Amino acid sequence: MDSSRFAPPPDRHFGRPGGGMGGMGLQRGQPGERPKNMKGTLLRLWRLTEGHRKGLGWIMLLSVLASASSVLSPLIIGRAINAIDSGGYALKIILLMLAIYLGDWLVRFMQQFSMASISQKIILHIRMALFSAMKKLPLAFFDRRQHGELMSRLTNDVDNISSTISDSLSQLLVFTFTILGILGIMLFLSPALTCVALAMVILIFILTKAVTKRTGRLFKAQQAALGRLNGQIEESVSGLSVVKAFCREGEMLKQFEEKNRELCEVATRALIVSGFLMPITNVINNLGYMSIAVVSGIMAAEGLISVGLISSFLLYSRQFSRPFVEIANIYNNFQTAVAGAERIFEILDEAPEPEDGPDALPLEAPRGRIEFENVSFGYSKGKPVLEGFSLSVPEGTRVAIVGPTGAGKTTIINLLTRFYDVDSGRILLDGRDLREYRLRDLRRAFGAVLQDASLFDASVRENIAYGRQDAPFEQVRAAAATAGADSFIRRLPDGYDTVLSQGGAALSQGERQLLTIARAVLVDAPILILDEATSSVDTMTERRIRLAMLEMTKGRTSFIIAHRLSTIRDSDLIVFIRDGRIAEKGSHDELMELNGLYAEMYKTQSGMGE
Amino acid sequence: MKLIIDRIAGHKKMFFTAMFFLLIETFADLMQPTFMARVVDEGVKNKDVGRIILYGAVMLGIAAAGAAGAVLRNLFASRTSQTIGKELRADLYGKVLELSFENIDRLQPSSIVTRITNDVTQMQNFINGSMRIMLKAPATCIGAIALIIAQTPRQFPVMAAILCVSAALIAANMRLGYPRFARLQKRLDRLNDVSREFLSSVRVVKAFNAEEKEEHKFAAAAEGFADAGIAATRVLAVFSPLINLTVNMGIIVLLWLYDARDAGRIGRLMASVNYMTQVLFALGMVSNILNNAVRAAASSERVREILEEAPAQKKAASPLKPDIRGEITFKNVSFAYAGSSKTALENISFFARAGETIGIIGPTGSGKTTLVNLVPRFYDAASGSVLVDGFGVNDMEPETLRGAIAVVPQKALLFTGTIRENLLWGDGGASEESMRAAARLACADEFVDSFPDGYDTVLGQGGVNLSGGQKQRLSIARAILRKPKIMILDDCTSALDASTEAAVLRGLRAVSEHSGMTVLLISQRISTVMRADRILCLEDGRLLGFGTHAELMRDCPVYQAIYESQIGGGKLG
Repeated sequence: MDSSRFAPPPDRHFGRPGGGMGGMGLQRGQPGERPKNMKGTLLRLWRLTEGHRKGLGWIMLLSVLASASSVLSPLIIGRAINAIDSGGYALKIILLMLAIYLGDWLVRFMQQFSMASISQKIILHIRMALFSAMKKLPLAFFDRRQHGELMSRLTNDVDNISSTISDSLSQLLVFTFTILGILGIMLFLSPALTCVALAMVILIFILTKAVTKRTGRLFKAQQAALGRLNGQIEESVSGLSVVKAFCREGEMLKQFEEKNRELCEVATRALIVSGFLMPITNVINNLGYMSIAVVSGIMAAEGLISVGLISSFLLYSRQFSRPFVEIANIYNNFQTAVAGAERIFEILDEAPEPEDGPDALPLEAPRGRIEFENVSFGYSKGKPVLEGFSLSVPEGTRVAIVGPTGAGKTTIINLLTRFYDVDSGRILLDGRDLREYRLRDLRRAFGAVLQDASLFDASVRENIAYGRQDAPFEQVRAAAATAGADSFIRRLPDGYDTVLSQGGAALSQGERQLLTIARAVLVDAPILILDEATSSVDTMTERRIRLAMLEMTKGRTSFIIAHRLSTIRDSDLIVFIRDGRIAEKGSHDELMELNGLYAEMYKTQSGMGE
Repeated sequence: MKLIIDRIAGHKKMFFTAMFFLLIETFADLMQPTFMARVVDEGVKNKDVGRIILYGAVMLGIAAAGAAGAVLRNLFASRTSQTIGKELRADLYGKVLELSFENIDRLQPSSIVTRITNDVTQMQNFINGSMRIMLKAPATCIGAIALIIAQTPRQFPVMAAILCVSAALIAANMRLGYPRFARLQKRLDRLNDVSREFLSSVRVVKAFNAEEKEEHKFAAAAEGFADAGIAATRVLAVFSPLINLTVNMGIIVLLWLYDARDAGRIGRLMASVNYMTQVLFALGMVSNILNNAVRAAASSERVREILEEAPAQKKAASPLKPDIRGEITFKNVSFAYAGSSKTALENISFFARAGETIGIIGPTGSGKTTLVNLVPRFYDAASGSVLVDGFGVNDMEPETLRGAIAVVPQKALLFTGTIRENLLWGDGGASEESMRAAARLACADEFVDSFPDGYDTVLGQGGVNLSGGQKQRLSIARAILRKPKIMILDDCTSALDASTEAAVLRGLRAVSEHSGMTVLLISQRISTVMRADRILCLEDGRLLGFGTHAELMRDCPVYQAIYESQIGGGKLG
């Protein structure tokens, strides 16, 4: 499930676009996540707004101005009512109102208009900062994490941060200003009525607290029920063939209905309890309205206050309680956003692939001599994958790495390209430790055909030129020809300009492999790494791939993780790996002579023995 | 949207009850200013405290009625939206279980999951939250304006004008906003696609030093998203202040038009002003649910697509339920996957006797899995016929057919639950002994026994806590326990080392000899299929040879080539 992070409450962030991938959505009164270090995170966020601060300040100013009109207009309406009531002509006051309303319109328009672009720009800025940091992270980072979760950081969390924080910040500002302004004016107009209004606010506050306390538990239960249901949905969709093959549809449906019913029950309860907030607030509002009408009515009847003042107070009573109700929610969203920000900073704080030192060596024309000296490595502590691995490969040697799954074959490639760094020992290229070279130069020295034939949603030409984007078309075509891919590419609807979609899903496995080989050919790297796909392709293509591989490895040091016996026999040096160590090495004939593990594997696979 | 309305129509009673209480709630809100006007005009003006208190009591009563309305509305609306959500999920899930793989391939599994989970939730939230606003807002507006006119009938033209102007503004807002929010949604999808592509190809990106290229791609998507976001919010930025202004102008006009004829009705004027602020609030809500409406519409479209997906397979009119022995016949069978112009199988004919083991070999993409998938009728042949014991698979009751077949797929699929529960999928009533025997034949007994909880070890989703080889062996044991008449082994020993694979295959051979079951054995490795009774050799969906190993070595050049490439001397041209 991708949506472990939830999109912001759909119900509440009205004017906000986008907002992530649409998860379950927080509902009113649902407790947000708690940030771990609120102050520190906020400080860092503030630093990220660099370059947009003027704009933010401008928005804040406009927000406060906009709230000024809502603070002032009830007062003025009251004045107007008084003027009208006393039979006078209220022209002046009405003109004042007109001015205030027009000003309000202008300010609101400017505020919302500039808010639209500034918050989007901040989002863009943070998102790009996040991506830039991410692209520099070592492979270990990506291997350890679920992609869906990382994706939601790039989308949901970023959106949440900027919109919620800029929204909440201006809302908090506006509300504080509104509350203080209204309170001041009300106190000035009538302290007694102010007390009535305050009493209502306190009542709302207490009841809201009581409700949210109960909803917290319910929402947790809802999330858990939802998780169980989603788990079953995913499982049965991905395992549908087995469900059908074993005729388990009825059983699965029964289990699903049980879980679905559970979710419906707990979600309804959560919704009902949290849904009480609105009516409660509304009732208290009406109660406040009524109390003020009665108390001020009596006061006016006694001649203590004017009719206009009643009007002002009634309008204020409505406006006064809203910020109090909202503030709790805003704070909640604010916390969720800050927690999202923490997840983003977590990535920004990850150690990137080590920068090249000032004395890093350029690597211009490597010869391709490779030595592993007593290399040990493990993906997690205490679980070594390679142990005391030593191997010397003269330049121009074709090396086949052979062994059972999980023996550490791919790890060797990960270490050569410095996707990972050795734990102890060292790997030398042309007599120098890999870590002494500039990383980019080092990677350029390797041409890789990796097992997952990753193609991109781009044209065939762009895919082949992936490692050398400036390559002229003739070279792209020549590389394709070397890889034996030219003929099938030309049969595609738009030839080299055919756009692949979904990672080249329309191509066959073999065609995809030929493209990845062409991609490596074009780079023209002195050392080659080929992770032979476990599955075979049709015999013609297989022959082509084999020829292409022979052609491109000619005179180059190459490491081939080999599965086909034919490929293995084509190599100069066979290294049989078992449990992270070299069990046997030598040429095919030597190893057959040895009659050990390799010979046994060869015989089983070739059907020469039981 | 139509789907949402249809679903609501299915719960008319609940929904309208909720709406009825919503109206009571709205009505109570609307009545407050009216009585306030009386407090002023009758109480304050006449200095009649008794009246003031009386009207106060009436207002209290109305507030209480409103509260009751709100509470009940909440109960009914919550129940309705959640029930609709539950039913939608159940319908979708049931539908997905019924769909054939042709449908599933088209809809894409990951997308199906999001539709059942996220999209349904979006719709649910919309029904519960936004519908309330959509109904309450107009009710408040119309009610408030009607009451203003009732207080001061002379205001009718002005009020009508304001109503028209705001309605026009809202319509324009929707008109301009909807496509922009829809575009925003598209751009968000694009951003997600780009991120997904980067994350899944990060190894290649690094190997080719292409980080900058990826960054440009991402930047383009992120900028596109930001631009669409700005365009969409700017629509709101233009219209919502305008709507505010219109209503505020209404207040000014109300005050302006008050004249001597209205003397003694100052309370009503105050009430009218209050009504205008209520209208303002309600209209503000409407223009703001636009984004939710766009999302709910998109979600409901995606959900509808599944519900309306026509099942690709037809059910037989009077399905046959024969006792199956295990003969398999293919007669001129051709097949192509939907949306692909290439035929996956072309004119395949062969006959397998009951109890025979048929090896199937051929390169990836040659149609091996496609071929065996036609036997349990996961897909239907495009032409020709697939027969089991002489009966067409399409004429049989699917439960009867599949009940006699056990499939071990390439990817071992296990389910949340204990190992025992997973194995008993094969046969719910199997005894402890036969379960253990099946595990032993699949070479799974040793590692299962090594777990502290043995067969009661709980597997995570998809069996995450097991290695690939362990999952494959459990998946084989599950199939053995089924005691099938036809066993389909689809390259299911790929994660086993050579000696374990040999042992598992020996176990399976023993079962097949003992029970006389027919075995279809797919493998990439010629050494695995060599010992089968007969071997089908496929390439590009065509049957190139069918016979024993010796016969194929003699007659089938492709088989020879495969042998050559995997085993033989392997000299290249």
